[in-house]
Amino acid sequence: MSSAPSGGGEAPPAVELRGITKRFPGVVANHDIDISVDAGTVHAIVGENGAGKSTLMKTLYGMHRPDEGTIAVKGGVVRLGSPSDAIKHGIGMVHQHFMLADNLTVLENVVLGAERRGGIGHAARARIAALSDQYGLGVEPDRLMEELGVGQRQRVEILKVLYRGADIVILDEPTAVLVPQEVDELFDNLRELKREGLTVIFISHKLDEVLSVADTITVIRRGTTVATVDPSRTSARELATLMVGGELPVPELRESTVTDRPMLEIGGLRVSDPGGRRVVDDVSLDIREGEIVGIAGVEGNGQSELIEAVMGMRSVEAGSVRLNGGDITGWGTLAIREAGVGYIPEDRTRHGMLLESPLWENRILGHQGERPNSRGIWIDCAGARADTERIVADYDVRTPGIEVIAEALSGGNQQKLIVGREMSGRPKVLVAAHPTRGVDVGAQAAIWDHLRRARSDGLAVLLVSADLDELIGMSDTLHVILRGRLVARADPMTVTPEELGAAMTGAGLDEGAGSGGSEGEDGE
Amino acid sequence: MRIPLPPPAAAGAAAVLGAGVTAAADLGLLAPAAAALGVAAAFALVVPTTRPTTDDAETRMHRLLVAPIALVLSVVAGLLAGGILDWWLIEPVAYPLGALIGSVAAFWLYRRLSTTLALSFGAVVAAGVLALAVTALVLQISGVAPFHAFSRMLEFGLQPDSLVIMVNSGTTFYLSAVAVAIGFKMKLFNIGVDGQYRLAALLAAAVGGAWVMPPVVHQIVIVMVAVAVGGFWAGIAGYLKVARGVSEVISTIMLNSVATGITAYLLNTDRLAVQISTNNIGTPEIPASGQVPGIPAGFMGADRDIFGLVFLAAAVGVGYWLMLNRTRFGFDLRATGQSPTAARASGIDIKRMVLLSMVISGMVAGLVGMPQLLGQSHYYALDFPTGLGFTGIAIALLGRNHPVGIAFAALFWAFLDQSSQILDFEGIPKEIAVVTQATIVLTVVVVYEVVHRWGLRYQQQQVGRELARGEREEAAAS
Repeated sequence: MSSAPSGGGEAPPAVELRGITKRFPGVVANHDIDISVDAGTVHAIVGENGAGKSTLMKTLYGMHRPDEGTIAVKGGVVRLGSPSDAIKHGIGMVHQHFMLADNLTVLENVVLGAERRGGIGHAARARIAALSDQYGLGVEPDRLMEELGVGQRQRVEILKVLYRGADIVILDEPTAVLVPQEVDELFDNLRELKREGLTVIFISHKLDEVLSVADTITVIRRGTTVATVDPSRTSARELATLMVGGELPVPELRESTVTDRPMLEIGGLRVSDPGGRRVVDDVSLDIREGEIVGIAGVEGNGQSELIEAVMGMRSVEAGSVRLNGGDITGWGTLAIREAGVGYIPEDRTRHGMLLESPLWENRILGHQGERPNSRGIWIDCAGARADTERIVADYDVRTPGIEVIAEALSGGNQQKLIVGREMSGRPKVLVAAHPTRGVDVGAQAAIWDHLRRARSDGLAVLLVSADLDELIGMSDTLHVILRGRLVARADPMTVTPEELGAAMTGAGLDEGAGSGGSEGEDGE
Repeated sequence: MRIPLPPPAAAGAAAVLGAGVTAAADLGLLAPAAAALGVAAAFALVVPTTRPTTDDAETRMHRLLVAPIALVLSVVAGLLAGGILDWWLIEPVAYPLGALIGSVAAFWLYRRLSTTLALSFGAVVAAGVLALAVTALVLQISGVAPFHAFSRMLEFGLQPDSLVIMVNSGTTFYLSAVAVAIGFKMKLFNIGVDGQYRLAALLAAAVGGAWVMPPVVHQIVIVMVAVAVGGFWAGIAGYLKVARGVSEVISTIMLNSVATGITAYLLNTDRLAVQISTNNIGTPEIPASGQVPGIPAGFMGADRDIFGLVFLAAAVGVGYWLMLNRTRFGFDLRATGQSPTAARASGIDIKRMVLLSMVISGMVAGLVGMPQLLGQSHYYALDFPTGLGFTGIAIALLGRNHPVGIAFAALFWAFLDQSSQILDFEGIPKEIAVVTQATIVLTVVVVYEVVHRWGLRYQQQQVGRELARGEREEAAAS
């Protein structure tokens, strides 16, 4: 399968995109994209959230047709009408969210849908073993998927693509779900793929990673390619400037507004999942008026459960939650929200919005019992509409009107509406999970502004984020969560993302800052 | 070429023109044709003198889609109004008056009809045309001239007695469909409306026939028993779902069978039933104090009475709309139906909502048998209508769970049922109406999905335009 042209300077580029334009209502589309990917290289495509990277990769993987422009693979112009067309031309894609069945083995997952390539038995097992050895993936065909860690799952995804005969592998934000050690392993794998003559297209917005692994970097901004650079002759700062066109918003807090008055006190909180595993273990923390407390942690270490427990969506096994001195442990979600806790959920489309309802009905969601949305048992449509107009104006939600359904808005505008909604009840505490995930640069800056302003008005914020820069920049106090426990405290004034990343995986971080030498137990 | 007039003047001019043209054309044409012409003339006057007030006025979408649909709707409104007025008035007066109403509707629709609503109407029309085409094809293949069959059905279906029967069975269908729709709004599939209404009607009839009570109290007691039984029976399915995770689809189907068993057991001369005729047994007849008198339909030339409980159905429709769109409970219900995860994060107790909506659905289902029981049969016997719960599912689908949509769907369904009766006399199998009913449900579901996606794309385009405008303004400002 790996008959990729290698070495010779005369070889045509593995992939060449010319003048790709994709019009796509409501979100940033692609226009006039020109990229040439040389065979046998790792080519990174970087850009801010919402710059159009994913749209472009979907075009290349045949998930939708471009409106204009051509795609050439290994010198020949092709039309990619579906992912199976793309696979026929040797293009494979590893999605950001894994598409694996937990209750099947690695072997079964790999052959699923590609049974014609070698059956489902010994031949397939042998081929998987051979591929795994050839590229140093270390995949065991008979392990159950659910036993594997995130890094191993990702390698299975890569193997799936290779098994289908791809020699051009697209990786969509592969490091978003990995801890730093796993990222290093992934990069070793990618170098191995490159050595074997494969072409890797690597999408990311993390500049340090891109600089360390890529042979060529193409920058996308507002839907179009703005530059193609050689990583050895550029810096992260320069790339960042290219990515955002010079106005990179920086998350930072100015003077401290922290007071002595505790607004949210969590004491010895313990939460177990339905299987009895303890997912939040003895967590205690205080958030004072005007303070933002950040929680850093690799996803899946209990942050979501902690938040759900605070919001009353999960039952608390032990411990207490106190709001402004009053005990709210075990209260229902609505009661907690009405007592003055705003909530920005981590997955806005699943938890924060009714996608098929107009914006003004989304204004009511979660605040059904409050003015101006309702009076007694009745919904106050006029009041809710008027207040939605106010949010749209104050929070700069870009929409033609409030009767538009939420699904029609872009992610950033949906999030601005949610932030506006949660701020409008003058909450005492805001629980914000990934408040700027998947939103464009402009909306990100706006949301940070709103958080800062609310903080100086005395709001207490519990901030969970996967974006370490955001955490460090926006927090007054930082805690690190690992396997449900708060294992370290960091000073956001001095800690670096690297130190924080190390602490998140269990490498020690002492009170204050600075990373300890001892490597923690393996995260997997 | 726009001559804007103040709205009242434009509406008035349209009304006068519509009525005038109709009166004049009535001298030479059939009255309905004259009315259609009159409304169309009024619409032609409305377009250059009025500005639509909707968001997307003057876009291509509005010109090509919304305006034509507004025209069609206003002509239909004019014809309906004329036809109904004709029952009381002489034709040369009725139809110009109808055209006047249609002309005002033309003005109002052109000004206010929103794109999404117009799309929905367009979808219904498209589905109707498709279903008719399929039916015509089936007729053609089986060797019957489709237009002959259709014209006989139309002719028979529009006779006064047929219309009364249509309204009566439409009333029953409506209640059944609303019961199903309450479940649908929560993404709950209450297949058990059938069992719920049969059990409710039997027990209500038994209670009503057992005692004599003062009028009004008697009817209320009977209806309350039916509501309580229906709610309880559906509540079992709701409880099982909440407490044990049993799919309501399975449990309501099972409960239908159980209800059939229970009614068969109770409807026995040893228990609740008495001999009614040689081969029919039923509950004792409800005395006059518990009956609901019909509305005499002599004004439209019919010998039959319209069910008095048609007002109950209307009240249920209004109540359903109010509950759904104006109460916190209705909001919670819709939110839970759309996204259980978002509902939970907003503090809605999903289990409580499941149980309550199932009970409410069952309570409305309990009403399904009431118009027939209190208005016509006065006892529950072996020949009490069955299967209404399943018809309700189809009608709820057809009416898109909207109280007004369901009303039209129920009447349409009843019309097909009734008008197809004539086909037997023509030697055409009347089951052809079932083909039409089935195809229209299927096509409406499909066409609605298509329209829904169009609507979303259209809204996204509007949002996109707004974004682009915002960016241009920013660029201009900097």
